[in-house]
Amino acid sequence: MKTKVITVIGIVFAGAVTCAHAQWLDYPDARTPRTKDGKPNLTAPAPRVKGKPDLSGLWQAERSPKREYDAVLGNFTALQPDTYDITTNFLNVFWGMKPEEEPLRPDAAAISKDRRERLQDNTFTRCLPGSIPAALLVLTFKIIQTQQEVVMLSEMATNPPRQIYTDGRSLPKNPDPTWMGYSVGRWAGDTLVVDTIGFNDKAWLDAFGHPRSESMHITERYRRRDFGHMDLDITFDDPKYYTRAFSIKISVNLVPDSDLLEYVCNENERDRAHMAK
Amino acid sequence: MKPVVFAIAFTALAMPLAAQWQNYPTPGIPRTPDGKPNLSAPAPRTPDGKPDLSGVWTPRNGLKYFQDLSTDGIEIPMLPSAKALYEQRKGNLQKGHPSERCLGHGVMDFNTVPTPRKIIQTPQVIAILFEAYNQYRQILMDGRPLAEPTEPSYHGYSVGRFEGDTLVVETNGVNDKGWLDMNGHPQTETTHFTERYTRRNFGHIDLEVTVEDPKAYTKPWTVKLGGLDLMADEELMEAICENERDYSHLIGK
Repeated sequence: MKTKVITVIGIVFAGAVTCAHAQWLDYPDARTPRTKDGKPNLTAPAPRVKGKPDLSGLWQAERSPKREYDAVLGNFTALQPDTYDITTNFLNVFWGMKPEEEPLRPDAAAISKDRRERLQDNTFTRCLPGSIPAALLVLTFKIIQTQQEVVMLSEMATNPPRQIYTDGRSLPKNPDPTWMGYSVGRWAGDTLVVDTIGFNDKAWLDAFGHPRSESMHITERYRRRDFGHMDLDITFDDPKYYTRAFSIKISVNLVPDSDLLEYVCNENERDRAHMAK
Repeated sequence: MKPVVFAIAFTALAMPLAAQWQNYPTPGIPRTPDGKPNLSAPAPRTPDGKPDLSGVWTPRNGLKYFQDLSTDGIEIPMLPSAKALYEQRKGNLQKGHPSERCLGHGVMDFNTVPTPRKIIQTPQVIAILFEAYNQYRQILMDGRPLAEPTEPSYHGYSVGRFEGDTLVVETNGVNDKGWLDMNGHPQTETTHFTERYTRRNFGHIDLEVTVEDPKAYTKPWTVKLGGLDLMADEELMEAICENERDYSHLIGK
């Protein structure tokens, strides 16, 4: 069984972790505070714009330590070195939770069970969006913040750019379902709170195939602790598939003096044919 | 023969025609007394006095340039190898264009393909989000020089600066897979684009592009495109090219 899990998770990564890091030109950003030796001072205060924290920059989720995988999956990390580029929640949004505590309704459990038998069908293995939270948990993403909206560009380029409107508009009543949904943001103190609805039901929440329905409402809370670090809480509320709302908490790190690389997935859509059933 | 060619060119791109998300009136648009956007009002400016190009835009008269950049009679000074490739692509009914595999467009043909795009301008970076093909460009405005490109890509590496009221964008580092137009004027890894964007008034941006590439063209050449028209009170729609069924129907010759 363990081998099966390892194989299957290896498969899941084949599509996701092709271009590991954004290292465009190593251009030093003049706005980055530095220590005496010229290195970015990542514990300097977070920058602010018009009284609000400025979240602009290139970010990547803190990678989960190797031991967290090995505890569950044996020597998985030896087989899958890319593991260091991901967080455990990319595999399973309920990582660390006792199975009996997972708030799955029977339909959701059945869908997840079925998808775990065909992990090669995850959307991004066909160059389709992984959506939220996958876009935040593996590769880098860039935030460009303006007064009217916050733009999020994902290096996991199967995801379209996200626009989060911060101009005070409210969520639409009955939006057309899309992969990335419709997002509005507001500031609660120094925390950017992003509410998103209007998702389609196609993307999987994680590699274990936990589903989302069109009634999914995701709330993300971004708090930039200091120059180099951000706390991110993501709450999922989807009464069709889950008996209660549930959350994941991750740490996100600034990737200084770097940038997104272009990543055109459709160019190299050759993984799926090689994926084991 | 012509209709076939046009039909092919559009199959991949013509799905979501207009962005009509909610009809939310864009804040900050000057309006005439009857509430309609006043597109001949002066162009807006950023707090530091530069023209602000932000907004949702679509190319004007895009199709003719999208088909072939020489459409207005400009002479494109191709080297023999480039000429041969162009003739071959054109003669083969444009089969092989990256869009037939959902690969989208590059710097030049995104300036002509009539699909919406949103420009988001900040002092450090100008982002252009394209509705089609899920692609974006970044134009870095922080004063950095155009660097020696490392990884060739569809959109290359772009830096911008203002010359008076004109945004001048220089791009290198593109790959040789993109086509400059549907008839297949080639780009190579040494292609250098210079785009000049001038927001003439609230509703229109003039745009001309200069192409320089000693591996494909005998000298630099410039094409004045139709420019960009503002799509007031519109928003981008999500468009995922997930219906990749065109390719098998393209016939070629």
